[in-house]
Amino acid sequence: MSFEPKIVAFLCNWCSYTGADLAGTSRMHYPPNVVSIRVNCSGRVSPLMVMSALSKGADAVLISGCHIGDCHYVTGNWQTEKRVPLLKKGLEALGVDPRRVRLEWVSASEGARFVEVVQDFIAEIERLGPNPIKGASHDRRAACSL
Amino acid sequence: MTRDELRIGVYVCNCGTNIAKVVDCEAVVEMAARLPGVVVTRSYKYMCSTPGQEMIVQDIKDQRLNRVVVAACSPRMHERTFRKALQTAGLNQYFFEMANIREQCSWVHDDSEAATRKAQALTRGAVYRVAFHEPLDKLYVDMCPSTLVIGGGIAGLTAALELAEAGYPVHLVEKTERLGGNLARVDLTAPFLDPAADLLTDRITRVHENRAIKVYLASELKELSGYVGNFEAVIGPAGEGSPGAAPSCTVSVGSIVVCTGYTEFDASRITHYGYGRLPNVITSFEFEAMLRAGRIATREGRTPQYFAIVHCVGSRSREYHGYCSRVCCMTALKYAHEIKSAIPGAYVSDVYVDMHAFGKGHEEFYRQSSEAKTLFLMYDKNEHPLIKRAGPHDDCEMLIEVNEKLSGEVIEIPADMVILMVGMEARPDAAHVAHLVNISQDKEGWFIESHPKLDPVATTTEGVYIAGTCAAPKDIPDTVAQARAAAARILARIAREKIEIDAVFAEVDEEACSGCRTCVELCPYSAIEFDEGRRRSRVNSALCKACGACAAACPSGVIKARHFTDRQILAQIEGILA
Repeated sequence: MSFEPKIVAFLCNWCSYTGADLAGTSRMHYPPNVVSIRVNCSGRVSPLMVMSALSKGADAVLISGCHIGDCHYVTGNWQTEKRVPLLKKGLEALGVDPRRVRLEWVSASEGARFVEVVQDFIAEIERLGPNPIKGASHDRRAACSL
Repeated sequence: MTRDELRIGVYVCNCGTNIAKVVDCEAVVEMAARLPGVVVTRSYKYMCSTPGQEMIVQDIKDQRLNRVVVAACSPRMHERTFRKALQTAGLNQYFFEMANIREQCSWVHDDSEAATRKAQALTRGAVYRVAFHEPLDKLYVDMCPSTLVIGGGIAGLTAALELAEAGYPVHLVEKTERLGGNLARVDLTAPFLDPAADLLTDRITRVHENRAIKVYLASELKELSGYVGNFEAVIGPAGEGSPGAAPSCTVSVGSIVVCTGYTEFDASRITHYGYGRLPNVITSFEFEAMLRAGRIATREGRTPQYFAIVHCVGSRSREYHGYCSRVCCMTALKYAHEIKSAIPGAYVSDVYVDMHAFGKGHEEFYRQSSEAKTLFLMYDKNEHPLIKRAGPHDDCEMLIEVNEKLSGEVIEIPADMVILMVGMEARPDAAHVAHLVNISQDKEGWFIESHPKLDPVATTTEGVYIAGTCAAPKDIPDTVAQARAAAARILARIAREKIEIDAVFAEVDEEACSGCRTCVELCPYSAIEFDEGRRRSRVNSALCKACGACAAACPSGVIKARHFTDRQILAQIEGILA
């Protein structure tokens, strides 16, 4: 069977989630590999959530919020912008390709951009293949072989 | 509450066929029925309908449900509806979660199997999440009774008057130096032939005289922050601003009505009609200016004898805009009428695709025009008429070749003046406005309403309304109706004085707080205070807007973002990936 990546997308309520909804109301199409979780602000996404998604079976995580300067919470996305590079460094240290976590800004009116982002990310993860730490914490045999 | 005590009801909406034609709703129901804590599962045609909601209310009562999940449209569409149903049944409204299997599933995927799997994942995520939901109290904030109206055309004037005459302050912002908008460029209005000036002058005078309305000319909205009931708007000089322009000011408003109108299609984009090349091929707005000035003349100063009016310029075409601009047909008939009154004996040919005469008095007006000997020629929209210069022996300026659809013959008609009925187009600055007030645009650039049929003046951003042609082409009565509808919606909100907002804010577990102050530094609202004595952080819930940035950053993990707690989100992740 060909590899069908599973991607968890954390979308901020005010911009990106609305943008994703707009892609729907405009009947745009994209592959069904992305499943979204609505958060108030991209700044709410903690490293714990990203790690949890990657360890529980996601091949990649998309974090998307309002463009810089447009955050509904003034500076919430600044925190995201600072946090994601640190998180990527941490992932690298764990042997996870940092490209598996992507931060993108998508506004409420950018349904088409949401589709592009998703298509592009899915293509990249298809190239990277399955996430190696997927299920690692639950797989005893994998833990024993370390 | 332990998992054993959970009694979750899961409802999968078919949304007619909107969801069901792609997602196998029964398969979603079967999957949900096997999840821990789920005791009731149903699928139904329209969950948001009264019977759909009653089903939930009844199950809460009969089956003692303590959690509800609805897999349907976006929570931005109906979360409020279903929360109300929970309240009706006496269950705390926060024991509810929605799975968005329409906008983010059935509408964007066509592989039925994969879409069903995704709908199951979304629903499972919602079920896992709702298990950790906690009851929250309602939270009310004051509703600021002032309104910001953007745009001083007929829509903006109407909305402003409606609100101000009910006694509430309005800030009316107009980009140009004067009120009136596009309607101020119109002579008579179709089909009843009332002068546009009569409609406008009365309203403009009333706006200027009403002390509740503050008019800002040559101004625009520069910045907007806040949320429904409590927006802060910065109004400043339009564009770069001129030296004499008023300085920027900040106003508090509870609601916003966007009435930014349209711009006309640029006829020079179509080369085959010769606009810009043939001197007497003009646009409807250029002709309107002649009518207003009271003198119809060619560029050379002669009185034209032969007129041709060409419909659907930029509208209903594959290359330009697919939509109908709705006002051009009646405007064209009005021109035929005005030409014949001004120049008795003039010949008018009306070259159309279809005659759209859908409104009150329109069909009658069309019949009158036919009886008044306007020559109607129908063309196929894929075979546009050809306009060429007449020869020296013709007694007219131009000749128009029309492949007449009804007779099937190629007919040549004379013309001294050709009027192109240019359609409506979204303004080039619409994207900027959408961005400022956080609303969406469709692919043609028109602003998108919350629901095209049932909620035509609200938007997906609470407290922001749209009226008139900024949402799509429409005529004056429809524009006025929308402006009044938006005002009525706002007045209903103002009348309640308070508005309910999500009872979500952050809380610090003060016992476990290590006092590092990371949260204090990053809070955009300075809502986190540091108690120096106890060396603990504390959130001021009145100031907190619930972004959750502190919760994500707290190194001890002791800040709880209510309704978006770590436990809830982690459970949702687990559900999605299970």
